[in-house]
Amino acid sequence: MTRLNGGLVDRGTTLSFAFNGKSYAGHPGDTLASALLANGVQLMGRSFKYHRPRGVFSAGSEEPNAMVELREGARQEPNTRATVTELYDGLIARSQNHLGPLNRDLLAMNDYFAPFFAAGFYYKTFMWPRAFWEKLYEPMIRGAAGLGRLSKQADPDAYDKGFLHCDLLVIGGGAAGLAAALTAGRAGAQVILADEDFRLGGRLLAESHTLDDAPATGWAASVAQELASLPNVRLMTRTTVFGVYDHGVYGAVERVADHLATPGPRVRQSLWRITAKRAVLAAGATERHIPFADNDRPGIMLAGAMRAYANRWATAPTRNAADPVAVFANNDDGHRTALDLMAKGVPVLGVIDPRPDAPRLGDYDLFAGGVIDGTKGRLGLSAIRITQDGRSSWHRCGALGVAGGWNPNVHLASHHRGRPVWEETLLAFVPGTGGPSGLFPAGAAAGKGSTAAALQSGMEAARKALAEIGIAATALSLPDAEDAPIRQAAFWHVPGKRRAWVDFQNDVTVKDIALAHKENMRPVEHLKRWTTLGMATDQGKTANISALAVMAELTDKTIPETGTTIFRPPYTGVSLSVLGGGDTGAHFRPKRLTPTHHWAEEQGAVFVEVGAWMRAQYFPRPGETHWRETVDREAKAVRAGVGLCDVTTLGKVDVQGADAGEFLNRLYSNMMGTLAVGKVRYGLMLREDGHAYDDGTCARLSEDHYVVTTTTANAGPVYRNMEFARQCLWPDLDVQVISTTDAWAQIAVAGPKSRALLERIVDEFDLSNAAFPFMACAEMTVCKGLRARLFRISFSGELAYEIAVPARYGQALMARLMEAGADLGVTPYGTEALGVLRIEKGHAAGAELNGQTTAQMLGLGRMVSQKKDSIGAIMSRREGLAADRRRLVGLTPVDPAATVTPGAHLFAEGAARSMATDQGWITSAAFSPHLGSSIGLGFLEDGETRMGEILVAANPLEGQETRLKVVSAHFIDPEGERLRD
Amino acid sequence: MTDLTPITALGAKTARKETYDALTLSENPELALASLALRRDQTPPSPFGLRLPDPGHCADKGSVAAFWTAPGQWMIEAPGRANEDFAARLEEEVPGGSISEQTDAWTAIEITAKNSAALEALMQKLVNLDPAQIAPGHAARTGLEHMSVYLIRRSETHLAVMGMRSFAAALWHALVTAAARIDQTA
Repeated sequence: MTRLNGGLVDRGTTLSFAFNGKSYAGHPGDTLASALLANGVQLMGRSFKYHRPRGVFSAGSEEPNAMVELREGARQEPNTRATVTELYDGLIARSQNHLGPLNRDLLAMNDYFAPFFAAGFYYKTFMWPRAFWEKLYEPMIRGAAGLGRLSKQADPDAYDKGFLHCDLLVIGGGAAGLAAALTAGRAGAQVILADEDFRLGGRLLAESHTLDDAPATGWAASVAQELASLPNVRLMTRTTVFGVYDHGVYGAVERVADHLATPGPRVRQSLWRITAKRAVLAAGATERHIPFADNDRPGIMLAGAMRAYANRWATAPTRNAADPVAVFANNDDGHRTALDLMAKGVPVLGVIDPRPDAPRLGDYDLFAGGVIDGTKGRLGLSAIRITQDGRSSWHRCGALGVAGGWNPNVHLASHHRGRPVWEETLLAFVPGTGGPSGLFPAGAAAGKGSTAAALQSGMEAARKALAEIGIAATALSLPDAEDAPIRQAAFWHVPGKRRAWVDFQNDVTVKDIALAHKENMRPVEHLKRWTTLGMATDQGKTANISALAVMAELTDKTIPETGTTIFRPPYTGVSLSVLGGGDTGAHFRPKRLTPTHHWAEEQGAVFVEVGAWMRAQYFPRPGETHWRETVDREAKAVRAGVGLCDVTTLGKVDVQGADAGEFLNRLYSNMMGTLAVGKVRYGLMLREDGHAYDDGTCARLSEDHYVVTTTTANAGPVYRNMEFARQCLWPDLDVQVISTTDAWAQIAVAGPKSRALLERIVDEFDLSNAAFPFMACAEMTVCKGLRARLFRISFSGELAYEIAVPARYGQALMARLMEAGADLGVTPYGTEALGVLRIEKGHAAGAELNGQTTAQMLGLGRMVSQKKDSIGAIMSRREGLAADRRRLVGLTPVDPAATVTPGAHLFAEGAARSMATDQGWITSAAFSPHLGSSIGLGFLEDGETRMGEILVAANPLEGQETRLKVVSAHFIDPEGERLRD
Repeated sequence: MTDLTPITALGAKTARKETYDALTLSENPELALASLALRRDQTPPSPFGLRLPDPGHCADKGSVAAFWTAPGQWMIEAPGRANEDFAARLEEEVPGGSISEQTDAWTAIEITAKNSAALEALMQKLVNLDPAQIAPGHAARTGLEHMSVYLIRRSETHLAVMGMRSFAAALWHALVTAAARIDQTA
């Protein structure tokens, strides 16, 4: 054990966990990484390419090395950072990316072939022979790619999403973030403070600084307590703000139950969309390292992380307490690590600082002007080589902290294509202007990294942000805090012949960057893709700036001249499960059920999705072995007797007002204003470009009240167009519209016995042909007083009606009709039979109204009234559209056993199959039980004059050719006598 | 009175109800609804003595209530009167207005909470609205799990969610799933 004194772990409670099958103990407050270190475990994983042994490198979400497979079974999750995995009792983790045990990875042999894996090796190696690519190279590369393993089982946990609104979103709960939140909270603003850590305080938790001569952790805790007591402040720990989106919307993931063994009844994670009037970016800074020879051994980590492990988690970074620890720093901040470790009783070898005038800040050995240029230790650091004044010497060393300066976490400020700007005095990029509007960087994220500067800038950012939205916030009385100046050297790497890692996770070394430079992959975008630098799960958080510096050195340019990378969301990895944010099964998307849905279920109906609707497709009966058997029976029952079909899904719109008729005249291509009260008219709407848009019926219930129906698919769009027309095009018209689609259950009662059936349920209403002829409508009552609307309209071509009752009675009405019509052979039918009946009758539906057809093509050219204007009327007469000679025709196979295939194109017999000879296409087809053969509808050039002609329907994709005869589209009752009976 | 037996939007003869620690969700099939839209130049009426609410608001008086739905347009609510021809009653109150029966166009789910915090926590999981837009006395139309709904905040601890009747099962699922989770975290 290497547990030190102090720290923010609850030593009174012990948590047991397992890593690679071995049990260990930790405490609440630990991360997996701190608990492993406390147990003397340095080796935590293997690198991606060379399978080099790796240990924890950081103490936060920037971690490149300590990646594990967390949990077991379906919950197993690869590439989980041990540094941000909160320890819980029973935690199970395994290291990843090795063959055999972690300490004897057979794939470590890759390291011996390192010269072959240089930058760009993919592109150079897998070029030839070409035939090898798909069969050999790609599977091989895919097999080798990736680090951890997926469980390949369904995620058993629930996720959800939510929406939050606030005046000020504070991103990060360190010194700057706490000051900002406190400033805003006390001002009464609605505040959200989000931090990815499970404890508020940020670096204050990791440092030994004092505030007002008391531990900084005490101040952080008291501020957190005050914030928690304010009703206008929402504290969201374990929450990562991962992206900034348009209109001040921030994406965040709250890890609700990741710190538990299983979520239980909770969701595991929540996706939050936070709409913030203003935001403060107090995301802190990430320390960078200094590449030197063999700098990737377990035990080598960032100096700031080493301080965090010592101060917050009371953990020494060594395997053995007696092993000395060294610090390699190009700045004063790194020296603090030596001081803090010494204060905790950890033996310190000394501080190696390349600056000749490096200060000695305490009682430790200082190697001023020195560098580290070699390390030893197969599975963990055992020695370092220090070169100073031209002399090199090896020193026993159990862990090494590396301090190369701090990079402000500018990521979120770089969304919306904000470009960070180089700040020479800080040797770092800071947020530039032009990033997301309303986002105010503060603290270390803005390059103000001393505790005093962070507190001050957090408070100021909050005041400035709130002032913009009219909220005055008074200044806080901030505690006295350290305010050490930043003193550092622009020392970016230790030159040498051995490999010096820049990007640990993707195994990119200084040599790789040099090779990219040599091969002219110098722009940062090329460098990134040639070397894969910054492309791993950590997105190069600890590597990008160091790589830029190396490239700048090679090109003899400054770092800002060399460029920077653009940061895109997400800041850290976001699981697809939480992005899905909800149901993945039956409730993946909401479904609409018809009023007779449950009744249809009881009848054993097979359902089909029609948009969001679930419609009965057909109603199989016992003994029927094929769907067509059922559909044929249903279609025949309609033509012979009477059938019932729930047609509620068709859109219904109430149109009222003194100008309702004029309004409809302008919407429909045909005249509606002249429609008599109590009558229905078939209507056609055109798009503004003149193409056919939607068809339906228009019933006039009273002088100023129409009920319009639309197709199922266009119920929403037509209603929307009506509202647009009413509000924007013709606001002078006195017209009011409202959808009533769901209000009324509508049932088609079709067939020669439909009148007989309806007569049994209407309340004293004369249904005779004379009193209620074809295209009549009326409001009346049925079943002893239930209000209903009856329309005598027909989609099937038979005598038919549609009856509407309040939706709650739809199911009972269906049952009543079934009961009342038993002796008439009443039969429920679904959408399949509906399709057969309308094709037999030659009625257009979605396949014919596909947005590319015109009224003339549909044989409805005369419906576009010349006497008035309507939407699309003028455009329908334009040259090109009006000249289209294709017309809707019927098609039957010459061989009655052959099938008409929708989608096939029509050609003259013997003609070549080409676009030039194409004469049209088949839109719809079905087996007609009444004709005993397959039939179809299609558009054919000059179709109306080609009755009887033989054509070929060609389906070249599937090699089908069928000879078809051109016939009238009205296969059944072409004179329309039945529906007028 | 018709001899047909109605069913609720959730497909049963009786209303569904689910109770959790902090929240209770009840299907309200007895709520009668009728839309009222003003004709051109029509003076806003006071049906049943009700002052029609301003945009974004709801109001109630006696046994009727209303919420604003669009410029010059309101939904009038009458609890317990779904089996009446309520639109016809409203027409008598507002002669010359454009009135449409809407009772069965919607399913109303009444959500009562032990406190406003539980109700607001629930709404945060369901709708992208600033809490101020749905404070007591407010009404809003918004998207909820890809469905269009009305939210009527009847009081600090009472919210009605109205969704299209055909979506009733999906809406109920969305609401009870969220409500159950609010309980777990409240």
